[in-house]
This record gives sequence, structure tokens and C-alpha cells, in this order.
Amino acid sequence: MTEIIVVTSGKGGVGKTTTSASIACGLARRGKKVAVIDFDIGLRNLDLIMGCERRVVYDFVNVIQGECTLKQALIKDKRLETLFVLAASQTRDKDALSSDGVRRVFDELTTEGFDFIIADSPAGIEKGAHLAMYFADRAVVVVNPEVSSVRDSDRILGLLSSKTQRAEKGNGQVKEHLLLTRYSPKRVATGEMMSVGDVKEILGLDVVGVVPESPDVLAASNSGTPVILNEDSDVSRAYEDAVSRLLGETLPLRFIDEPKKGFFARMFGG
Amino acid sequence: MPNTKKTGLLMKQPANAAREQAVEVRFGQVGILQVRLHTTDPGSIVDELTGKTATAPHFFERTPVCLDLSSLPKMPPAEEIRSVIEVIRRAGMMTVGLAHGGTAVDELATDLELPVIHHVRASTKTAPIVQAAPASAPAAAPAEVPAPEPGALPALLQHQPVRSGQRVYARNRDLIVTATVAAGAEVMADGCVHVYGPLRGRVMAGAHGDTDARVFCQAFHAELVSIAGVFRVFETIPPELAGMPVQAWLAGDDLKFAKIGETDK
Repeated sequence: MTEIIVVTSGKGGVGKTTTSASIACGLARRGKKVAVIDFDIGLRNLDLIMGCERRVVYDFVNVIQGECTLKQALIKDKRLETLFVLAASQTRDKDALSSDGVRRVFDELTTEGFDFIIADSPAGIEKGAHLAMYFADRAVVVVNPEVSSVRDSDRILGLLSSKTQRAEKGNGQVKEHLLLTRYSPKRVATGEMMSVGDVKEILGLDVVGVVPESPDVLAASNSGTPVILNEDSDVSRAYEDAVSRLLGETLPLRFIDEPKKGFFARMFGG
Repeated sequence: MPNTKKTGLLMKQPANAAREQAVEVRFGQVGILQVRLHTTDPGSIVDELTGKTATAPHFFERTPVCLDLSSLPKMPPAEEIRSVIEVIRRAGMMTVGLAHGGTAVDELATDLELPVIHHVRASTKTAPIVQAAPASAPAAAPAEVPAPEPGALPALLQHQPVRSGQRVYARNRDLIVTATVAAGAEVMADGCVHVYGPLRGRVMAGAHGDTDARVFCQAFHAELVSIAGVFRVFETIPPELAGMPVQAWLAGDDLKFAKIGETDK
């Protein structure tokens, strides 16, 4: 059974693509067959984060418009056997997507025996974002601990409960998960940033992961290696936890308290 | 014009938005002027209407109006109403429908190819704004619509959180929300509104003018509270009300707030 997970947020720049890439890698590492699809037509980024930008020949729009087969467009990841990337088109706009086309691609991935489809949604609530969420079984709503991001996520949650195939067909709810990114326990402690509890209370959802603010994310993006593959990083551990929770494990949240200064921190001035 | 009943309600129908839409069917609610006829004599109507429109010419310019025939002694033939519509048009207003009033009105509406506006029941309870009879009421008074009959329908129950950008409207009844109403969300009812989660959005009770409607909530953080069109926005929540169980009601033209249990009203 193929599960479609949309990674969405409403607001831009909160970490949807980073999250999509890392969740896809995390699932693939656990042996799942995963396709991660960039829905941000015209502003494609996922291929950069995944480090396969030079291998993009055909893209999502080409498949939808029948200019190539899905197999030709799926880019096999060089690190993980069971991970495939479907890049967005950089030269088209979002109107190139159609509901039927997206459905066909999803159906074909299902027949191909994929375990997970990760739909990396563009920002906003327009067509691209709508189509990314429309067929979803689950949603990972990426939110930064600040008011505008929280409000936009609330809007997205509203759309998830009304403008998806599941909602329209009365076929149960899209299962929603909250993922906090760019979380800085230090700034929460000083009251500059909303806490996990605040965000949880406002959105009324359970948290599937809290990813700490870290320079590792930028470094990973620039090098084209999903940050989850950087084993030394807290960010990687946080995403690994989130992936485990998505697969049904119960784990305590990490990286939500200000770290006590340990041996290394004292040695190197933390 | 300060027509406080124009709550600007727009409900997006669930549509298959994944497809390109040729049309979008929306539910919109606007206040509408009612013209209650006491006579069908075009001469006396035109005299009075032009007198009224002269006092506030821009207000009546191309204003949609709804004809209320309930005060006429007998149902006039379609021809007579046609000439009434014509004189109303000459006074600057445009007739868009007939107020609901039984089968005779329905038949007349069919003849005239006009819709019957059910929501504006022809009623003798409230004073219409424009009476085609000697009257000196200020022309700018807000249009009044009869309050819905109480107890006609059970309350509308909403168990899902009302998210930012969503609207829930309980027509002709109370609304009970058992979850959060988020900032940027709107909940409204023609009757009372009860919110048992945190209320952070906008809330409107008595959306059709019922001044007895109230708002009750468990944790008050509302952005806007409106009862029968009288509203108040909260740029800053009074500290004594923030997060408290609060009720709001209308006393005259005044919107009152108190912690639940701390009012003898």
C-alpha cells in the first residue's frame, strides 16, 4: 500500500524542502521504496537539496504532459538504493500541473510498488500547494515557532480538512503531523520564540518532530546532501526521530531544552 | 452607509477545486433594503420615493431592493407590480426580488421573472426602512430583517477545530463549537454562539439581527465580537477577560462583556 505524505506549511522558507528530502532519505534508509516529488513548478529546489540537479533530464511536468515516461523522469538516488526523485520543471509555471496528471503519476508509482510518496509542496495556497495536498493520506505541516508561520499553518490545516480528496469524498481525515523546524531552545527560554507547547496548543496537533536551528542545514543544502545524512548533526538525529514517529514509534522529544554545557562545550567555549 | 447587518458572509462551497473552474458558486449574504408597499398607485409611490431619495441620493443610487407586498390589502396583478417596479427604478432603486409571502407571491414572482427572497420574510414585526406611506423616518436607518424563529432548528455542532481562513455559519440556529476557533477564523450564527475551545478568531452572533443573541466562550482571546451587527475589535484584550470564560451580550447599542458567572443579566 502506497502512502502519500505531503510536506506543506503555507509560509515559505520554513524548511519544507529540507524536511521532504530528509524524511524521504530517512524512510529509504529503513528500506522503504520512496519517491519524493517537487511540486514547486518554476522554482525547483528539491533537486539541489538532493544533490541531483545535474542529472535532471525529464521532470514532473514532462511526465504529466506525456512527453516522457515516469521511469525516464525518476532520478535514482546515488546514496540510497530505494530512493527516487522527481524534479519540478524550472521553465514552466504551476498551471502546467493538472489534477488528472498528478493522479496518474501517483497511480503509476503505486503500481510500481512504492511504499511512500513524499510530495514537497510549494509555499502558498495556490494550485501547486493544492495539488500537492489533494491526494495525500498524511500531511507533515512544517512550522517555525513564530506567529506568522503558525497562522499560515493553521490555514493549511483548514484546507487539509476541507480541500483534499479524503475530505471531499468523506473518506476519513488526512492524518496531520506537526513538525517544528528552526527551533532554538535558548531563544524559547528568553521568551523570544514560541515554545513547542505554545505551537501545539494553538494548532491543536501532536508534534512529530522538533528540529533545532543549526548551521548544518545550510551547509547540507549547499553541498546537496540531505541534512539527515550528516550523522554528526542534531538536526539529523531530530529528523531520524521524526521518521521513526511517522512509522509509528513512540519516542520522547529531543532538543527542546537548552543544552547543559557539557565537557566539550566547556573545553571549546560552546 | 453604516448598514451594520452587512456581515459580508461568503461561504465557499466545497467544489472540486482540483479542476479549473468555470464558475464558482458562493453563498453571499448582504443586507437588502425592503420596500413595503401600502398602495400600488404609481403616482403616490413616486412622489414619496423621490422625496426620500432626494435626502440621500447616493445611498439609493442603483440600490437593490426587495418588495414586500404583505401590507397590501390584496395581491395585485403582475401588471400593476410591473409599473410599481418601473417607478421605483425611476427613483433610482432596482427591484431584485419579492419578499417571501406564500404561494400568491410565488406565482407573481414567476410572472415577473423575479426571485422570491426567502430570507427576508414579509413580516409585520419590524419596521421596514422605506415605507410607501407618510413617514419621516430617516432614510439612512439600517434595514431590518426579522429575527429567526427561536427553537426552529437544533444547534449546529462543530467538533473540528475552525482553522484560520475557515468560516462556519449556523443559519437560523445556534452554533456550538467544541474545538478551537483559530485566529483568522470566523464563526457565526443567527442565534447564539458557544465556543468550548479557545476562541481566538472572529465571532458573530445574531447575524440576522437578533439582538438577544449572545456569545459564550470558554477561553476568550477573540479578535472581533459582533452581536446583531454591533461589533467590537480587540486590539488588546482587557487583561481581566483574557483567557477567561466570557459572555457577550447586547444592551441597547452597547456590547457588554463579562466573565461567565459574574453577571446578573
